[in-house]
Amino acid sequence: MTRIKYKSFQRNFLLAMLAYLVVVLLVWPLARTVPSLPLKVLCALAPIVPLAVAMGLMARRILHSDELEQRTHLVGLGVASGVVALFSTVGGFLASAKLLSLDACANLLLWLFPVLMVSYGVARLWVARRYGIAAGCDDEDETFPTYQRLLGAAGLLGICTAWGYYKSIDSFHLGLLSGTCAGLAVSGALLGLLHWRRRRGSHE
Amino acid sequence: MNNRLRELRGKHNWSQGDLAEKLDVSRQTINAIETGKYDPSLPLAFRIARLFRQNIESIFEPGKD
Repeated sequence: MTRIKYKSFQRNFLLAMLAYLVVVLLVWPLARTVPSLPLKVLCALAPIVPLAVAMGLMARRILHSDELEQRTHLVGLGVASGVVALFSTVGGFLASAKLLSLDACANLLLWLFPVLMVSYGVARLWVARRYGIAAGCDDEDETFPTYQRLLGAAGLLGICTAWGYYKSIDSFHLGLLSGTCAGLAVSGALLGLLHWRRRRGSHE
Repeated sequence: MNNRLRELRGKHNWSQGDLAEKLDVSRQTINAIETGKYDPSLPLAFRIARLFRQNIESIFEPGKD
């Protein structure tokens, strides 16, 4: 099976995520305003399309990767499944005890996918390091080091935050967006500093 | 498990990237095998043996338990 180049996967995945962002910001809010029920359902479920494309790209990449890469993916997905199961069970218990409102439950469900992806990424990074390899398992990883990806994501979230501020979204979501954006920016800056120090050390 | 992959690759003047391309795996998988951090599956071990025209047991040997 021919392996898929990490660079092309990364580009397509980024495009799918950008499409997701655009749909969430521009199409999904229409679900509250359009009058017809079928249109409401279509607008509400529109973000699923780019997400499904992103998951398809990931599945294709895993299927076309070599055995060591597949092992790291498998462990990452196993750990992520455990974390998501724990996260949703906690939410389920809190909701059953009537400690969470219906809105909070909906927000919790929306966070399942990000929690899955983050825990998958972290677990995979940890497993990959144990084998002395980069998480991408490909030399092209160096094209976009992790700090650049984090700073890029922080930039995108920054745009979303500005958009949300302009559209006067509620303070909870504005706080969530700006907090996540700041967290990503600080992590990216710290990793960038480590990257710079490592490179300077190797040149000396 | 110990292996002679680095030595055999050196004899053929192949880089890790060259060997990875011939075996259709990533360069980092070759590096992980050579450094003993990862033991290849039986099909990959057979592919390596076939590529170097040797028996599996002459390339891979069990390490101390």
